[in-house]
Amino acid sequence: MKKEHRAELIDNKSMNSDSSLLVFRCPEIAEESRPGQFVNVSCSKFLKRPFGVNDTDSINGTFSIGVREVGEGSAEIRSLEPGALVDVLGPLGNYFPLENAKKLIMVGGGTGVYPLHFALKEARKANVQTIYICGFRCVSDSCLVDECEAFSDRFMITSDTGDVGIRGTVMDALYRLNENEYNDATVLSVGPEIMMKNVSQWAENIGLDCFVSLERRMACGIGMCLVCTCKIKTKNHDDLYENKRCCADGPIFNSREVVW
Amino acid sequence: MSLRMSVGTLTFESPIILASGTCNFGRELSEYISFSRIGGICSKGLTLSPRLGNPGCRVAETPSGMLNSVGLQNPGIDYFLQNDLDFMSSLSTRVIVNVAGHDPDDYVRMTERLNDHSDQIDILELNLSCPNVKEGCMIIGSSPKEIFNLVALVRSITSIPLWVKLTPNVTSIADTALAAQEGGADAVVAINTLLGMAIDIRSARPILQNNTGGLSGPAIKPIALRMVNECSRVLSIPVVGCGGIMNYKDVLEFLIAGASLVEIGTATMVHPTTPECIINDLEKYTAENHIESLSDIVGTLKLWGV
Repeated sequence: MKKEHRAELIDNKSMNSDSSLLVFRCPEIAEESRPGQFVNVSCSKFLKRPFGVNDTDSINGTFSIGVREVGEGSAEIRSLEPGALVDVLGPLGNYFPLENAKKLIMVGGGTGVYPLHFALKEARKANVQTIYICGFRCVSDSCLVDECEAFSDRFMITSDTGDVGIRGTVMDALYRLNENEYNDATVLSVGPEIMMKNVSQWAENIGLDCFVSLERRMACGIGMCLVCTCKIKTKNHDDLYENKRCCADGPIFNSREVVW
Repeated sequence: MSLRMSVGTLTFESPIILASGTCNFGRELSEYISFSRIGGICSKGLTLSPRLGNPGCRVAETPSGMLNSVGLQNPGIDYFLQNDLDFMSSLSTRVIVNVAGHDPDDYVRMTERLNDHSDQIDILELNLSCPNVKEGCMIIGSSPKEIFNLVALVRSITSIPLWVKLTPNVTSIADTALAAQEGGADAVVAINTLLGMAIDIRSARPILQNNTGGLSGPAIKPIALRMVNECSRVLSIPVVGCGGIMNYKDVLEFLIAGASLVEIGTATMVHPTTPECIINDLEKYTAENHIESLSDIVGTLKLWGV
């Protein structure tokens, strides 16, 4: 039987103006999580809050999540102090299909970089070549820059203001890649929906598979309540769609199936 | 100590029923809990044709509860009968099929299909209370006359025990409950969700794209208790209580108020193991307090004389 876990907060580090990296001890989640999956974390509000897994350490039995403040619940979780106990359900959802990838191009925007960090580390373990591109509004919004640069074979950073990396968006970085660099690659993208849409159009135009991580307001997190649905094209019918559950059928979807 | 309850012609392993729309068809929850001591499971609300449900954001958290505007997303009754009913039957608990129609004809056609599978279905729950669709359901369930006509119509074509799930969005739930009883219902379920709204102050828009949704969770428990008590005082058929139950004490309150069984739903979304936890706690409570049968406390509420 699956169960809900009690996890202890081990470390809480502020990463930028609106997000922090929280490390919890929970050997089961550390053991089972795969890149792209998420966990549901309790707070004093009614429902749990979903966060993508940023990293795991199965030796120490810990996992980490990036927590961005979007409301009262996430603000409360972000302000937890080491030693705090929370209820955690997870790992939940599907994961990035990394097994058969020959090469990976990962594109993260804002706090979307947290789950990609996990994918980068796993790709490095599997000796898969990676190009990692992250985009932020400005340098003070950036996070996981050094860590992700260390784990990627090619690294690019962009900012709207230009105070770090390439001035512009992640698209300006993608356009700099030449055919040799992107050939045979699988693209993974996590971030604002408009960014993922643009990244997937770029990938589809040059014939690459692109997997995106969709985000919805959730309740149960395990596929029972049907509140977090995403419009996904019906197989073999491009003009028809179904409502798939972000929490249980996703959060990772092939971009060709997504109705944006 | 057993928590077994007898209601009408059926026995239930415990008074805990999983409410419609909160556990899909049981597959997901079966990875977290054993169903052997669960009283029953209600299917997701089914319609004659598949439904996509409502677009956009469908959930908003509110103080001590949540609003949902799913809008009866379901694969349709034929798909259910082919792909989900066998699984529900395999769970070794009572199988309750919840049906929601646009109009009386929909309910008749679905009941006819269910009649062909009556060996696998313990109870037919008529959804006359979903607040998230534009036709049928709550529209029918707001009128005692329409409730009576519909229940009598369905009663005349099936021998499957019939529960009627009532809406709290009415002036007098005693009147709608009585109409269900007169139509031939074997029990009423009180209550479905309360129609509500949550607003984003920055955009001045409702959070739910459907504008309104159904409120559930502890926020509605006092209303549900009051309505269960009102129903139980006027009816001769059993009442199944529903609304905001989070723990065993809540269950006891509903039983005292007059419910013979209870449905739980939103609590399962917060902690999937809630149904088992409640059953464990009820076993402990009945043992410690030397309660032979939980049915002994049903309807024991002692109202103040005012």
